[in-house]
Amino acid sequence: MTGDILNKIRETEFFKELSDDASAAVAAKASIRKFAVGDALMRKGDPADSFFVILDGHLKIVTTDAKGDEIIINKVGPGESIGELALVDERPRSAGVVALDAVEALELTKEAFFDLLNHRLDVSLGILRGFSNRLRFSTTYIEKVIDWSQKTAEGDYSFMEQTQPINNRTGNDDDKAAQLLSAFYSMVRKVKAREETLKQELERLTFEIDQERRKKEFDEITGSEFYAKLKEQAKSLRQKRADQ
Amino acid sequence: MAGKIVSIHSFRGGTGKSNTTANLASQVAMTGKRVGVVDTDIQSPGIHVLFGLDEHKMGKTLNDYLHGKASIREVGYSVGDNKVEGEGRSQLAGKNLFLFPSSIKGKEISQILHEGVDFNKLNEGLQTAITEFNLDYLFIDTHPGLNEETLLSIATSDILIIILRPDNQDLQGTAVTVDVARSLDVPNLFLMVNKALPKYDFAEIKKDIEEQFQAIVTSVLPLSFDMAENASRDLFSLRYPDHEWSKALKNIVPHILNAK
Repeated sequence: MTGDILNKIRETEFFKELSDDASAAVAAKASIRKFAVGDALMRKGDPADSFFVILDGHLKIVTTDAKGDEIIINKVGPGESIGELALVDERPRSAGVVALDAVEALELTKEAFFDLLNHRLDVSLGILRGFSNRLRFSTTYIEKVIDWSQKTAEGDYSFMEQTQPINNRTGNDDDKAAQLLSAFYSMVRKVKAREETLKQELERLTFEIDQERRKKEFDEITGSEFYAKLKEQAKSLRQKRADQ
Repeated sequence: MAGKIVSIHSFRGGTGKSNTTANLASQVAMTGKRVGVVDTDIQSPGIHVLFGLDEHKMGKTLNDYLHGKASIREVGYSVGDNKVEGEGRSQLAGKNLFLFPSSIKGKEISQILHEGVDFNKLNEGLQTAITEFNLDYLFIDTHPGLNEETLLSIATSDILIIILRPDNQDLQGTAVTVDVARSLDVPNLFLMVNKALPKYDFAEIKKDIEEQFQAIVTSVLPLSFDMAENASRDLFSLRYPDHEWSKALKNIVPHILNAK
């Protein structure tokens, strides 16, 4: 295995914490696979029997909607790993993976993976460390998002002045958490802006009264004998009530 | 001090007049005042529905009184003493709120329309209702427009509340009504805008209309789907006290209580 492959292994979220020696042990157990455009690395529902580290090329992660049409959930490229979580939790593949161009990937079978876990404490620890880092990182971000959500719901946007938006778009999961925060931040900014324009854009109604018509109708109503009598009655009624 | 007559009027139908009257009367009753509500919309009575009084529970009506077949005391229906369904309405239990309904029987409606209303008798009835039920406020739900019955209720009122929608047709009619009310020396005149689309600037609507008429606009109430959804099944402002419509409606209460 070349140093390039070792570097690729360590670029992945999954093996990030591995030492040189441990990475080499992983590389030794893995095999290089090549895929052409349109080849499926895995299909939805397949048993999880191996996982891949992408060395070169790009892939799409797909599922199907109710009508059976393909939906692309995500796209992945070099340095990213596919299918490692299914190996650990032993669930069938939740999505299919199809090559978008010529792909070179490192495949680690389930047996090889568990063999490594059994015999190489440094590999196991490295993987565990990677997991716990991800958890810790995600928790911090989730707490932040919860806090911001509550404030936004209350219409309190003050946190926006104290926070700078983070926006880097590399593929690893730490960055995905940061992307969530960044997306959330820009969502709140847009909500706030919409709210402000709404306040400004209240339409002004204009009213027009036909004064001539107003006078004509008034004269018609008040010109009758009935009205004259009513006016008199109203006056005396009010007087009567006031005297009571 | 004698009780005050509060007439609720609108120049055209569909302004939400009955709903406003029922909610307003209930809100005033909730403050502990003794309140009556007369349905003088003899042609198309409807306010009884809002108070949960249905057809077969309806006893003597204003029509019976006008035909000399019942006294005003017999016509008065105590909303507070009758168990009524509805989360909002049931809050009126024990309050002093009396409804004087109009008959909903087709025959009786056409009879009175044919014969015409005896204005002196109606007037006497209103005064008797105030004294016999010891009312602080008697609300009159009128028929839209400016017919003779409506002119009478405007003429006798101490407080006139004109409900209008923010459109030119309502405004034109309201202008004439305001002029008539001034000519009849109504001591307290208020305007209430209902069914305003939320996209408009309510503060501007209030300002514009106040300038046009030199009269107080007590509130601008929004057009509300929630209100339509309630569809007269309950007294909306009691059931949903924190709703925008209810809050705006409750703004009118102090204007009524403080009127001289």
